[in-house]
Amino acid sequence: MKKLIASFMLLAAASFFAARAQAQVIVIANPGVKATEISKSDLRDVFTGNATSLPGGGNVVPILLKAGTVHEEFLQVYIGKNDTAYRAGWRSLVFSGQASMPKSLDTDAAVVEFVAHNTGAIGYINRSTPHEGVKVLAVK
Amino acid sequence: MARIIRGSLAAVLSATIAISLSLHAQEFKLGSKTVQVHGFGTQGFIHTNDNNWLTMKTSNIGSGAFTDAGVNMTMQLLPNLRIGGQAYDRKLGQLGDWHPQLDWATADYRVKPWLGFRGGKVKTVLGLYNDSQDVDSAHTFALMPQGVYPLDMRDATLSHIGGDVYGTIKAKKYGKFSYTGYAGDQIQSTHGGYPYLLTIHGIYITKSSGLTYGGDFRWQTPIKGLLAGVSYEENEVTNTGNLNPSIALGGPDIWVSYTENSDSQFTKTIYGTYTYKNLRIDSEYKYFWRHFTIFNNQFQAMVLTHAWYPSAAYRVNKWAEFGGYYSHFDTDWVVTVPGQVEAPSESDPSRHIYDKVITARFDMYEHWYVKAEGHFMDGNAAGTNPQYPDGFYTQVNPQGLKPNTNAIVVRAGFSF
Repeated sequence: MKKLIASFMLLAAASFFAARAQAQVIVIANPGVKATEISKSDLRDVFTGNATSLPGGGNVVPILLKAGTVHEEFLQVYIGKNDTAYRAGWRSLVFSGQASMPKSLDTDAAVVEFVAHNTGAIGYINRSTPHEGVKVLAVK
Repeated sequence: MARIIRGSLAAVLSATIAISLSLHAQEFKLGSKTVQVHGFGTQGFIHTNDNNWLTMKTSNIGSGAFTDAGVNMTMQLLPNLRIGGQAYDRKLGQLGDWHPQLDWATADYRVKPWLGFRGGKVKTVLGLYNDSQDVDSAHTFALMPQGVYPLDMRDATLSHIGGDVYGTIKAKKYGKFSYTGYAGDQIQSTHGGYPYLLTIHGIYITKSSGLTYGGDFRWQTPIKGLLAGVSYEENEVTNTGNLNPSIALGGPDIWVSYTENSDSQFTKTIYGTYTYKNLRIDSEYKYFWRHFTIFNNQFQAMVLTHAWYPSAAYRVNKWAEFGGYYSHFDTDWVVTVPGQVEAPSESDPSRHIYDKVITARFDMYEHWYVKAEGHFMDGNAAGTNPQYPDGFYTQVNPQGLKPNTNAIVVRAGFSF
């Protein structure tokens, strides 16, 4: 019985820390992007190549991280796909002439730098990464 | 002999790995604009126990005459205007035969999320995967379900020269609706399965084209991961070429001009796909009908096919994915050349192919993967008067076709 309770406590603790980890991902955009918030559905559309603009107006360009926990969490929380399935979706679009491949950068800092200097750019980083020069979009 | 083949396969695989490890997506500047360059390539090997398959000599040792590659360039001219093109080449036994083709070349202008236009040579949206069936790296299976996506008909169904109008409309709690409507000229390759099929009758197609139009409507339902849709396409194809009756019937060697017109030709599909975490389930049904006339209505032929499949794939981890499908294909035909010839009952092996498939896919590196697949086929759908190419041809099976075929398919590929 004690083992069972311990297992539940461990599971609860894991869920708590997983939730905290998910909360570490923030969505950033070039200051020229009009929107201040974005719905989960719109975010998914932009990052899966199904939309190139936001409802408030203005074109946006998704910027990806190449790999890492922030990237994995972003896909899990907002896209609902693993990295392999996600990249496969983009390859289908690119090789059938329906989209250009989004730029993938190595680090959070590189994403901040690119988003800050390119009109319409929208990306995601760890909350703790310094992000001056970009705006943070609230995801609803 | 086996040593040479093993050596060749090892060389091809090594080259594939070397290429994939050294290649990454490239881009360069053209004025102030960035041009992206992407490419892919695959090498397959097929072994069958009895019948030769897909125009290759796959029985006995097997065949590696199964290669394709493509490279594209795209440029974002304006925030909502993109242009690009892709070259593609393939060798699939007797098909493709290393005749490079312009796969697509489009200008794509998206005015609003609900309204966009594409023009040029455009991939045809028909069912779940018609426009992306070449993108092997995006699929679990080494061969897509062949009833719905026959490799030998790829050149006939993939694209059109014309225009598309497309868009997505959000319907709040009801999900999203996407549509594509298109019209254009469906110029078909003379190196595809249908022209090859006709050579058994002494017919050599030199040109194949005609008006095509259709549409696709899909619904991203409020149930997360569930999508359903329908597609419809009409074709008015004219095939012209030359006929030498002596090849099929014997007698003097005479060449006459040959023309066949599709009086009525259409395809209907209905499909659905469901994704939950690492599990993906697809299903599609396709109905194809063609009534065509030969030599100014002197002879007529009709063919219809039903094809459907359910498939499932599960990704275990970053490196491994497993899946399977059941592909059902049956065909019926009536030919009045000469006299009336009707198809036997559907239970006859010459009327159907029922294919049970299991697949393992391994993603070894970021850009490289390999798939291994087993096919267990009941039937060959290749009677004495077949009108629809479906993988089995009497040209490469002169000894006659056996009712069942088992196959092993190994396919490695890369993309960047």
